[in-house]
Amino acid sequence: MKEKVSSFSNAAFALAGLLFLAVSGGILGWFRQPRELRLDPPVAADLDRFRLMPNGISGSPPESYFAIGKPYESDAYNLSQGKRLYAWFGCGSCHGDGRGGVGPSFLDGWWLYGPEMVSIVASIRDGRPHGMPSFRDRMTSEQIWQLAGYVQTIGSYTPQVAAPSRNDDEQTRPAENRGPAKILFDEGPVGVHPDQGPTP
Amino acid sequence: MTRDGDEFRDSSMGTAELHRRLAAIWSTPSGLWGALSTVDHKIIGRRYITTAFVFLALGGLLSMLMRLQLAQPEARFIGPDRYNQIFTMHGTNMMFLFAVPVMQAMAIYLVPLMVGTRNIAFPRLNAFSYWMYLAGGLLLWIAFVVDAGPDVGWFAYVPLSGPQYGAGKRADIWAQMITFTEVSALAIAVEIVVTVFKQRAPGMSLDRIPLFVWSMLVTSFLVIMAMPAIMVASTSLILDRLVGTHFFNPAEGGDVLLWQHLFWFFGHPEVYIIFLPAVGMVSAIVATFTRRPVFGYLGMVMALIATGVLAFGLWVHHMFVAGLPRLGESFFTASSMAIAVPAGLQIFCWLATMWAGRPVFKTPFLFVVGFMVIFVIGGLTGVMVASVPFDTQVHDTYFVVAHFHYVLVGGAVFPLLGAIYYWFPKFTGRMMSEVLGRWIFGLIFAGFNLTFFPMHILGLQGMPRRIYTYQPEMPWSGLNLFISFSAVILAAGFLLFFIDAIRSARSGSLASANPWGATTLEWATSSPPPPYNFARPPVVESLEPLSGDLETLPVASGLRVDRRELLTSSVVHASPEAREASPGDSIWPLWAALATTLMLIWSIFSPWAVVWGSVPIAITLIGWFWPKGVPEDEA
Repeated sequence: MKEKVSSFSNAAFALAGLLFLAVSGGILGWFRQPRELRLDPPVAADLDRFRLMPNGISGSPPESYFAIGKPYESDAYNLSQGKRLYAWFGCGSCHGDGRGGVGPSFLDGWWLYGPEMVSIVASIRDGRPHGMPSFRDRMTSEQIWQLAGYVQTIGSYTPQVAAPSRNDDEQTRPAENRGPAKILFDEGPVGVHPDQGPTP
Repeated sequence: MTRDGDEFRDSSMGTAELHRRLAAIWSTPSGLWGALSTVDHKIIGRRYITTAFVFLALGGLLSMLMRLQLAQPEARFIGPDRYNQIFTMHGTNMMFLFAVPVMQAMAIYLVPLMVGTRNIAFPRLNAFSYWMYLAGGLLLWIAFVVDAGPDVGWFAYVPLSGPQYGAGKRADIWAQMITFTEVSALAIAVEIVVTVFKQRAPGMSLDRIPLFVWSMLVTSFLVIMAMPAIMVASTSLILDRLVGTHFFNPAEGGDVLLWQHLFWFFGHPEVYIIFLPAVGMVSAIVATFTRRPVFGYLGMVMALIATGVLAFGLWVHHMFVAGLPRLGESFFTASSMAIAVPAGLQIFCWLATMWAGRPVFKTPFLFVVGFMVIFVIGGLTGVMVASVPFDTQVHDTYFVVAHFHYVLVGGAVFPLLGAIYYWFPKFTGRMMSEVLGRWIFGLIFAGFNLTFFPMHILGLQGMPRRIYTYQPEMPWSGLNLFISFSAVILAAGFLLFFIDAIRSARSGSLASANPWGATTLEWATSSPPPPYNFARPPVVESLEPLSGDLETLPVASGLRVDRRELLTSSVVHASPEAREASPGDSIWPLWAALATTLMLIWSIFSPWAVVWGSVPIAITLIGWFWPKGVPEDEA
């Protein structure tokens, strides 16, 4: 009898364990985020081969980008790397904390060239008229994609779980993961808006 | 059979009849439902111990991975990111999922038996505690398996673990795992305190409490006072990361050092939360295998309490290089050295006991001897790093790694392994192998020293901890290779231990009720004990209730046998006060733990989880506490 009870309790223990395993495994598998610290060189080279529409707005990323699971839009590590690049490359000197200034605002969710990754990547890589410089020679393709993913997060309408949180700085606006930016807080004075400013 | 009003009492009931009736009312029903809803402290304690040893094995595997990577310079076996996860997992797992829970688990099993009662206080809380612990452990390990394991070190200093540098959910998983394990640890601490204070056998006055029970009592108070600090810290960290509060952001008036203070205000007492139960185990083993009571009972108890008090006065010695006022450094150096006094007192009391007794060198006692050697070496390096100039030199080097493995493995794991050998017959009704036990002790003792002693030298040669590789130019490769080989010996010892434990549990030789000739109450009942522990509650008349003939052990009677009933007694003299009902089996603790798990994991991702997740918790708690339609004490 004693043996029987203990073998039953062992079975129950295993069962409960499996249950937990399945449930939390499912939850965590959803958020699985392996870090690619050194991108495969062919994949990195391929990141440059996206195709843009003739007007420079929207287009399609390279096939390999889908094959690696669109990491630059959904992966916390890449987004936080993008946030660091935003600071290191002085994006804030024109775009502020996302509210704009000399350059256009990201926070208002209004995209001069559309919200697609390739548009943003093209803007960073090749530059745009009216003052946006080209960063082609200053950053690697991977870094450009990381930065683009982060910039896309700033103006997103729905907060992303993977978006970075606040920095250890003075707080000027809620963190990226506290979005959606447009609804949550007043964006303040904006920069050039397409309705008022020059055509792209 | 006596009929007292409408109640069945055990007063003049025959032994067979009494056992039958008690078994009917106390047994856990067989089957899945019974296993999930049991509140028997022995079943839960056994589960707890088994789970903790599984985590020990997993943590050991991680350390072997690290040794493989460090065996040669510039090894490519593990990348830096995975290595960060591995050393964080190793420390976190060993501290939060193995060391503290296993000590408390031993208490769950042994304390009610040693104080002569039938179940732990708040048995349903006990069941809840185990499910929470299991969920927290699974959370951490599943996260690690899917490459989302924490990578910020086991003390997760901000700003590295903060919102700016700790990308993803890795640090949140660490912080929430803390919440799980602290909830379960606090629950056990409360149960132990109440069990020891209110459920002791009649006559077990404060000066007749076994030293193991004393040590668990002091440990439980340490848990109750230390754990809230880490829960505040980990919750603040999650708030900083998820909703952008500024507890640890200096630019907005927060403070990075606040994290270190909060963590180590918990983290240092944590060392004693692990060590004090080991002291109790050593005392029990020494008393049994020297055939005499431990020398200086009063001094031992006072040393336990003094260690417990002093444990809260020296957390800052973990932060000597963080920059402190001179007076602060001096104060915490002095208090760090002062704690060597009660520890030394205990060591000398055990030595005196051995000197005066007739030691029998069985496996449990061998582990105690190993403990003394290793723990004294660890204590000596502890006095060294308590001095600020020396600590500044060796901080964050392998010297510190060597030091804390000597005190933690020497001070806790050796006594624990001895305790497993010692109490295994009580847990399972079977003996572990004496021959294998000697081999296991030899392998672990030799393997441990060969592995960790050279780390002192590596540290003095400047090898930093937590590096995933090192250059061939560094003078470290020879010793590292030696350490990695020695680690294999250590691992072989542990492997043999697990084999012996599993083999003995299935087919070891059968154990009698008191195979070692010990004198404390847990040996007064059969091995393994029946679900009700004692057919009749024992009455205690001395520090060693079993020193005389087992047949003459006085017992109390007059308890009801138609419900789960036990005796409560006064705090100081343990004079019986009342017959108290003990709660029956319930599935609600499991549901409550599942609801809490849902809320805690969800709250890593959205603050709204605290609002909506509390609804299922409330429902399960209402189910748990739903009135039964009987007088309250009928349970």
